[in-house]
Amino acid sequence: MITNEDTAQAPHWLQRVLIGRNPKRTFVRMAVLMTICFVVFKFVLVPVHVDGGSMLPTYKANGVNFVNRLSYLSHEPRRGDVVAIGLQAGEHVMYMKRIVGLPGETVAFHKGRIFINGKPLDEPYVKLPCDWEHEPEQVGTDYYYVVGDNRDMPWEDHTHGKAARNYIVGKVLL
Amino acid sequence: MKVWVIRCIVAGVLVGLGFWGWRVFFPSPEEMIRKRLNEIARVASFSSKEGLLAKAWNANALGEFFTLDVQVTIDVPGTQHTISGRDELLQAVVGARAEGGSLSIEFPDIKVVVAPDGNSAVVNLTAKGKVSRQQETYVQELRMRMTRIKRDWLINQVETAKTIS
Repeated sequence: MITNEDTAQAPHWLQRVLIGRNPKRTFVRMAVLMTICFVVFKFVLVPVHVDGGSMLPTYKANGVNFVNRLSYLSHEPRRGDVVAIGLQAGEHVMYMKRIVGLPGETVAFHKGRIFINGKPLDEPYVKLPCDWEHEPEQVGTDYYYVVGDNRDMPWEDHTHGKAARNYIVGKVLL
Repeated sequence: MKVWVIRCIVAGVLVGLGFWGWRVFFPSPEEMIRKRLNEIARVASFSSKEGLLAKAWNANALGEFFTLDVQVTIDVPGTQHTISGRDELLQAVVGARAEGGSLSIEFPDIKVVVAPDGNSAVVNLTAKGKVSRQQETYVQELRMRMTRIKRDWLINQVETAKTIS
C-alpha cells in the first residue's frame, strides 16, 4: 500500500534518471570519475587522432589511438616500436613513426630495404613497394632513427630520420 | 554563516579579480607574443570567397607583424628559399593569395623564451595549415626571432625547425 508520505519522499523519475536516488553520492562519483579520466588521459594514455598516410597500411588516416607515456619508464625504446614524437614547441601535434635504428647504429636504405650496421632488417609491417636509396647514416648517442611504414611515397615527402630520446613521448598502444 | 567566512570569500574574490585585471592590463611579454602570433594565424588564413580588395588589405595587414629587414628561410623537402625584407615577403603573400583557394592556419603549440633584457624573444611554434581541396593537414615547425619595438613585438627572423632530421 502506498501512502501519500511515501509518494512525497520518492524522487521524481527525471531526477532518478539524471542524478540518481542519492545526488550527493552521484556528485562524488562524478568527481572521482572526472579526476581519474583527467589523470589517465593527460599523464598516462594520451588519446591521439591519426592524420596523414605515412604509417600506411599499419595505421590509416583519421583513426584514433592512444600513446602510453609510461611505456619507457622501465626500459628504453626498442626496435620495431611505433612511437609518438613530440615537436620542439609542444605535444599538441606529434609524429607517429616506427623505430628502426638504435643509438650508435648505422642506418642505410638500398633498393628500398633498410640495412642496420650493414645487415638487412626484416620488416614484415612494410607492405607497400619502396625504392629508396640512401647512404649509411650514423645514429648519435641518445638518438633513434625513425621512419613510417609507408615507403611508397617519395623520400623527400616522408618525414624520417634521427629523433632525440627526449622528444619520444611514448609508445603507441593499439 | 559567520562573518569571517564571508570576509574570506570576499577577499578571495577581490584577489582573483585583481590578478585577472593585472594580467589583462599589464600582460607579460610572453602573453603579448602569444596573442600576436594568434593574430598572425588569423590574418594569414584566407578563404576562397575573399574579394580582391580584402586580399590586398589582409596581405598588407600581415606585413605589419614583421620588421622591414625580416629574413625568412624556408628549408623543407623539395624547397629551399630565402625571403629578404618585408616587401619581398608581401609579394610572396600576395602571390600565394592570388592563386585562389583557401588556407586555414593555426599554431597549436607556441613556446616562447624571452631574453633577460625583455626586448627580444625566440619562439618555437608548430604551424598547422589546411589548404582547400586537400584532405591532408600540413604541419611545419618554425623558429622565430622577435624584437620589441615600442609596444609591439615584430618578427625579424623565421626559419624552419626539425625535430626529426
